[in-house]
Amino acid sequence: MTRNFFCGSADHAISRRGFLGAAAAVGAATAADMTQLNVLSSPALAGEMKKKQKRVILLWLAGGASQLETWDPKPGASTGGPFRSIPTDVTGLHISELMPEMAKRMKTTCVIRGLNTRNGDHGSAAKLMMRGRKDEASVKYPDLGAVIAREMGRVESKVPDYVTFYTQTEGRGMAPGESGFLGARYSPMELTTNNMPEYIKKLDGINELDHQQRADLRELLSKQFNQGRTSTTLASHNEAYERVRGIMASDKLFDITQEPQKVRDRYGPTQFGEQTLIARRLVEASVPFVRVARAWWDSHGQNFETHQEMVPELDHVMATLIDDLKERGLLDDVMIVTLAEFGRTPQINSSLGRDHFAAAWSMTMTGGGIKAGSYHGKTDDKGNKVVDGEVNPASLFATLYSALGINPHKNYHVGARPIPLVEPGTEAVKDLIG
Amino acid sequence: MRTLRPLYAAIALLCAAVPARADNLLPADRPMPDVVDHYVDDLLKQDNILAAPQADAATLIRRLTLDLVGRVPTAAEADAYVASTDPDKRTKLVDRLMASPGFVRHQATQFDAMLNSVLGNDGRVRSIREYLQTALADGKPWDKIFRELMIPNEDDPKQKGASEYLRGRVTDLDRLTTDVSAAFFGVNISCAQCHDHPLVADWKQDHFYGMKSFFARSFDANGVLAERDAGLIKFKPTKGPERTAKLMFLTGATVDTDTLRELTKEEQKREKELTDKKGDKKGAKKTPAPPKFSARAKLVEVSLKPGETEFFAKSIANRMWHRFFGYGLVNPLDQMHSENPPSHPDLLAWLARDTAAHGYDLKRLVRGIVMSRAYSRSSVYPSASVPASKYFAVARLKPLTPMQLSTALKLVVVDPASFEKQKPEELEKKFEGIESGARGWANSFAQPTDDFQIGVGEALLFSNSGRVYGELLSDNGGTLLGRVKALKDPKEAVALMIKTVYTRPATESELTALSEYVRKRNDRPSEAYKQVLWALLTSAEFRFAY
Repeated sequence: MTRNFFCGSADHAISRRGFLGAAAAVGAATAADMTQLNVLSSPALAGEMKKKQKRVILLWLAGGASQLETWDPKPGASTGGPFRSIPTDVTGLHISELMPEMAKRMKTTCVIRGLNTRNGDHGSAAKLMMRGRKDEASVKYPDLGAVIAREMGRVESKVPDYVTFYTQTEGRGMAPGESGFLGARYSPMELTTNNMPEYIKKLDGINELDHQQRADLRELLSKQFNQGRTSTTLASHNEAYERVRGIMASDKLFDITQEPQKVRDRYGPTQFGEQTLIARRLVEASVPFVRVARAWWDSHGQNFETHQEMVPELDHVMATLIDDLKERGLLDDVMIVTLAEFGRTPQINSSLGRDHFAAAWSMTMTGGGIKAGSYHGKTDDKGNKVVDGEVNPASLFATLYSALGINPHKNYHVGARPIPLVEPGTEAVKDLIG
Repeated sequence: MRTLRPLYAAIALLCAAVPARADNLLPADRPMPDVVDHYVDDLLKQDNILAAPQADAATLIRRLTLDLVGRVPTAAEADAYVASTDPDKRTKLVDRLMASPGFVRHQATQFDAMLNSVLGNDGRVRSIREYLQTALADGKPWDKIFRELMIPNEDDPKQKGASEYLRGRVTDLDRLTTDVSAAFFGVNISCAQCHDHPLVADWKQDHFYGMKSFFARSFDANGVLAERDAGLIKFKPTKGPERTAKLMFLTGATVDTDTLRELTKEEQKREKELTDKKGDKKGAKKTPAPPKFSARAKLVEVSLKPGETEFFAKSIANRMWHRFFGYGLVNPLDQMHSENPPSHPDLLAWLARDTAAHGYDLKRLVRGIVMSRAYSRSSVYPSASVPASKYFAVARLKPLTPMQLSTALKLVVVDPASFEKQKPEELEKKFEGIESGARGWANSFAQPTDDFQIGVGEALLFSNSGRVYGELLSDNGGTLLGRVKALKDPKEAVALMIKTVYTRPATESELTALSEYVRKRNDRPSEAYKQVLWALLTSAEFRFAY
């Protein structure tokens, strides 16, 4: 009479990558021979397998950029503000005049103007928009970066699989990278003080040979311990150390001086520009997910000055990134997402600001399997509500995953408990998938 | 009648989930370790599964020391235990460890993590370790701890910090409801918040809102936990008209009260006046008077009433089992319901009955579990097809908790000779000092969960942090490396290092491989030993309780 709520299969308790790791560990264990030291001379990492894979760069507009001064202008309306709208290379699609560069590139991009996410609180809305859902009691969900890391990362990868730049302090604590139930294996490498990750460089006090050989000694000892033992945690421990030297070798990816001056000039000398260029270097080297956070868009006062200053920077950096990826033939594989925790109120307050607004706002996706030159959703004349094509966080994430080739209805398992990737009953916006 | 239906359904299902009836269980006076082995072996026999052999003495003392006092044994402790021919040596070891102050400290850390990791720490939830440490040192049983966390008395110095449990959660009653249900009763009813649970017939919206009603009157009055005299929860079921929730426990048992009403305007005004003001003229905070009828006290009363303790007793038995075996009799720990039956229903029922009958004495439960043969099996399985975790046929690897790992790191790099020939109380002081010195390290590591994954961040930290080099690989006086430096024979040095770090003798092949490495590095022997120690500290054998 007991219904089979948890299928109980041991396979489900083992993550795909953990399973691969365990299998590799078992294979290696049989080869381990403590009396032979040849392991000390062989490189710890096998050659990396190159394969086509999707990647994501998230430009996180922390604090909530205004949809009215970016993707959904309402010129002439009482809520419209001082900026005009301009036509784009997509017939019928107008965006803010603050984005002339993107206006020439909307054929690459897809705009969703019908976001209704119902949460105007910085902290919980940031979590919601990073995860596509609300945490449930006793289930902490992984965010987009951790899911992409898990789906697109590779067990033998030499590069980190989730990197997040968030150097400004505003809102950082509200939108930390979060691997949730996927665990520390998919935790982000967080860069909050400078553009080079912590502990990625060898200490000066230890020489290269010692650093290499002690890793080999470690492996030798661990292999001995592995014999006759299986555990996903054990596999992840060994896998983490196996990745160290590869990740250390990726330090050059974070070093912007490796780029020709011409390329650096294109992105511009701003922190946002530099970090976005590093993001491009990372995805080019197969890092599955990079977030570049730009703070702080929370323009309760002087909304128009704030946006006059910040939108052109976004316009420039985003357009440069699109061109750069396109020239490198990467735009089909790399998706650029611009997203925030919410948008801003159509009403202009007495400080000439706009407040938090989650009922009708916008985001964009470019490349990586999204339908280029498309737009979806419509807000009313003043921008107060969505009148057509409303999209909620769950369907936004279903759309993102579908465009990247990930089945949004697949299940993860916490122990034996099945956890669907997006909320059940949610569908992707099919028109937007290329 | 409609509202009563789920209640009957729940009781019916509950009974169905518990095929074991008290009169079919092994006698209450059988020793707990025997009972554990009886039921575990029964299932092994029934499913024709071979158990791993018993772990050797060196493995067992490491496992027991980590599990009971949160540290690794010293080489001297391990040697003495292995060499002892006393047939009662295991009992004596367990008694000694459980009587030591380290037992209280470690249990407090473990319970703090257990109670606060239900949802994961989001910053709002504060540690109740201070309270737990006092409570456990006084030998307070689990039901008393539950009572004090639910109805904290802030005037009692022995309960200092107990109110933090509710205070951190009271601003989010849904979460408080779910956290308490999961932590103390082993059930997650959050699915029933929006609709009757889609897959588990046990859990209806009435359960969620019934449980929430016990907390609905609690609030934060200027930083003080307070409770109103009235207040009710209304909810709109997926079908039918809006309902007023009863004070209803998970078993379906309800509490009658005539206070199921909204606060009057007058009462609301008075509460607002009290809580609005930052304090009186002298700045003293005014706490609203305690309620005449405390809904929270009623929850404690009903959930601990004979006949209603099914959830409370089974949950603590299951959670303690999970702590020592790394896997619950019911898994996940918050999914104790009819459709996710225990692997050993009779064993869980027996442990719950025993625990309730002995006044929720946690030490009794711990001792009974760790003295079993099931607990002391090897973690190495002799064949490639390893049985499922639910059989407890082979010891599961348990990743060390942040405090266990940090303490172990700090302890094994100390000169092992400094632990020898010392009075027990001096040793205890030394251990306590090492543990406090390790707290800073603990923040670098994640709290393990089921199917925990260790991230590359930890491996990078160990590989390239200056702190590892400076604090753990130092060869100054008083350190393991300091002693090793003075030894002439690399084999002897390697043997000492392995004995100290792994608390077991080195194997021949380890001695050969590691000493050969040191010999090749004879241009810089002290660096070579550092690399050997680094490899020992970062290898899997050190990272896990096994």
